[in-house]
Amino acid sequence: MRAENLLQLQHRTQKCTLGCPVLDRCLAGGVPCASVTEFVGESGCGKTQLCLQLALSAQLPPSHGGLSASSIFIHTEFPFPFRRLRHLSRAFRASHPDLPCSDPCDRVFLRAVHSAHELLNLIPTIETFLLHSKSPWRPVRIIVIDSIAALFRSDFENTGSDLRRRSSLFFGISGGLRQLAKRFGIAVVVTNQVVDLIGDGDVSFGSLGNGLYSSGRRVCPALGLAWAHCVNSRLFLSKDEDEPPVKTRKMRVVFAPHLPHSSCEYVIKGEGVFGVEMMQHREEEINL
Amino acid sequence: MEVGMLPISASKRGKLLAAGYTTLDAIARASPTHLARDIDVSESEATEILNLASKPSALERPNGSHTAVVGGGQTAWDMLNDEKFSSYITTSCADLDNILGGGIKCKEVTEIGGVPGIGKTQIGIQLAVNVQIPQEYGGLGGKAIYIDTEGSFMVERVLQIAEACIEDMAEYSRHFHKDFQACDVKMHPNNILENIFYFRVCSYTEQIALINYLDKFITENKDVKILIVDSVTFHFRQDFDDMALRTRLLSEMALKLMKLAKKFRLAVVMFNQVTTKHIEGSFQLTLALGDSWSHSCTNRIILFWNGNERHAFIDKSPSLKSASAPYSVTTRGIRNSTSSCKRIKMM
Repeated sequence: MRAENLLQLQHRTQKCTLGCPVLDRCLAGGVPCASVTEFVGESGCGKTQLCLQLALSAQLPPSHGGLSASSIFIHTEFPFPFRRLRHLSRAFRASHPDLPCSDPCDRVFLRAVHSAHELLNLIPTIETFLLHSKSPWRPVRIIVIDSIAALFRSDFENTGSDLRRRSSLFFGISGGLRQLAKRFGIAVVVTNQVVDLIGDGDVSFGSLGNGLYSSGRRVCPALGLAWAHCVNSRLFLSKDEDEPPVKTRKMRVVFAPHLPHSSCEYVIKGEGVFGVEMMQHREEEINL
Repeated sequence: MEVGMLPISASKRGKLLAAGYTTLDAIARASPTHLARDIDVSESEATEILNLASKPSALERPNGSHTAVVGGGQTAWDMLNDEKFSSYITTSCADLDNILGGGIKCKEVTEIGGVPGIGKTQIGIQLAVNVQIPQEYGGLGGKAIYIDTEGSFMVERVLQIAEACIEDMAEYSRHFHKDFQACDVKMHPNNILENIFYFRVCSYTEQIALINYLDKFITENKDVKILIVDSVTFHFRQDFDDMALRTRLLSEMALKLMKLAKKFRLAVVMFNQVTTKHIEGSFQLTLALGDSWSHSCTNRIILFWNGNERHAFIDKSPSLKSASAPYSVTTRGIRNSTSSCKRIKMM
C-alpha cells in the first residue's frame, strides 16, 4: 500500500459533461469520476432524461467535456425507454457528426436488475467485464443506476431485522460501486426517489432534508439516513408548483465535497435536457 | 532507545524489527502474549525480552527517588509538565478553536461525527492543510496522513483551501511582521499537496492492514503530525454476520490508533457517520458503531444543523467542558460563522 502523490492526481478531478454548459457550470464541469453522484427527485423531474443524456455525453472527447468512453446503464424500472434513447441518440449524433461511432447506442451497455441482491452480485460481474471485455468500444467510464430506490422500497418489510439487512446492503453495494469507481476512474451516477415529509414542525430527520420542496410539498430523499452516507454528492431535482408558460425544473446541490450550494434551472426538450440562463436579478447568491 | 541495544540474539532482534517494534517503549508497552504471537516465540521468551526492555528505562533515571515502580511509568508531575508543551492544530474557525482549548490536540484521538453534508470532509481537509502552517506562524510545520474510505477527498478542493491558507498567512505576515521583510511566505500550494499522504482504502481489511502499517510509515516520515481517517465507519457498516468479530476488529484498530497518537505525538482525527436509535418509541440521531465504539476516542465532537447554521458540540472530553460553537464552510474553507463574526480568523 503506497501513499498516493496528490500532485500526480490531477489538480482538477476529471468530470463528464451533462451535455449542456449551463448544467455543467452548476456542477463545476460535470459529474466527477471516481465518485458516486446521486440525482434525487420526484417523478417527472427528468432523472432518467439526465441519465440517458449523460450516458451519451460520455462518448465525447475530453476537449468537449466528455471521457471518450462508453457507459453501463443499469435500469431497475421497466420498460426501459428504448425509443427515448434512440431519439436522443439521433439528436446527439446530429450535434456531433465527427464521433468515431456511427451509432451512439452501440456504446451504451444495458442491463436489467430486479432486486438489491442481484445488484450486489452484479458488481463482480461488472468488474470482470471491465477487465476482460473484448468490446471495441472500451473503456467504460460511466455507470448509471436508474433507480436505486426502486430496488429497496418494495422488497423489505418495516421490521428491525429487515431494516438492518437493508442497511447492510446499502453499504455493501456502495462499497462495491466506490471500489469500481476508484479502480477504473468511473463516474457512478444513481437516481433516488423522494418521500413526502408528513408531520407538524421540524422532525429530527429534518436536519437531513434541509427543507427540500417539490411541487409545493416538503419532501426528503428516499432510503433514509444510511443511504445518504453512501453517496459522495447529492443533487436535488424539483418542479415548481405554479406552471409558467415553459415547464422548468430546478437542480440544486444538497451536498458535495467540492461544490457550493448552488442551483440552476433546466427544461426538457425533444433533443434533451438543457439549462436555462437565469436573468440577472434571479441569480442566487452562492451560500456555501 | 533502540532495539539494537538489547542483549538478545540477532534473529530475535530481526524478528522484533520486522514485527514493527523499533523502540524499547514499543516493546515495553506490549503484553507477553501479544509479543509472543507477533515475533513467533514462546511466551516465556517474550516475557524475558519484556524484562530486558523495561530494565534500561529505570536505569536511565539518575535520581533514584523518582524512579517509577514499573518501567515506562510516569509521575503526575511529569505528565503536568508534558501538558504545558501540548500542541494544537487550528481549525481556522476561532469559535471552534476556543471551545477546543486551542484546536485539535496532539497525542489524543478525536472523533467527529455528523449527518451527510455537514462538513466532515471539509474539516478533515482544513486540518490536513493547517497542520503544515510553519512554526513561525504558530503552527506545527508538520505533515498529514489522510485515509479516505468514502472517496470524498477532492484534490481541487484541497487546492482551494490551501491557497486560502497561504493568503491568510501572507496577510498575517503583513499585519504583524512589518519590520521583518524576510518573513515572506515561502509556501506554495503544491508544497501543501506534497505534504499530505493520501491513502484510498476500499475494504475493511485494507483499512486494518493500513493502520497496522502506519507505525513503520510514520517512523520513516517523522514529520507527520496528524492522521485523519475519513470515515472510520463506512466499511464496518457492510454485512457483518459476526457482530462480535466486528467489535473485536474495531477495538483492535482503536487501540492501534491510540498507540500511534501517544508514540509519535500526533493528533488522530476520525470521522463517524450517524444512524437512528430507537428508544422507547422515539427516534433520535446517534453516532454509528454503537456504544462500545464510543469508548475509543478521547474527545468526541458532534456536528449538527441548528436552523440553517452549522454547529459543533463537544459531546465528550476529559479536559474540555461541554460547549457549542457555530462554524461555516466557505470557499476558503472552515471559518467562523458569518452571522456571528465577519472577520476572517488570523492564524
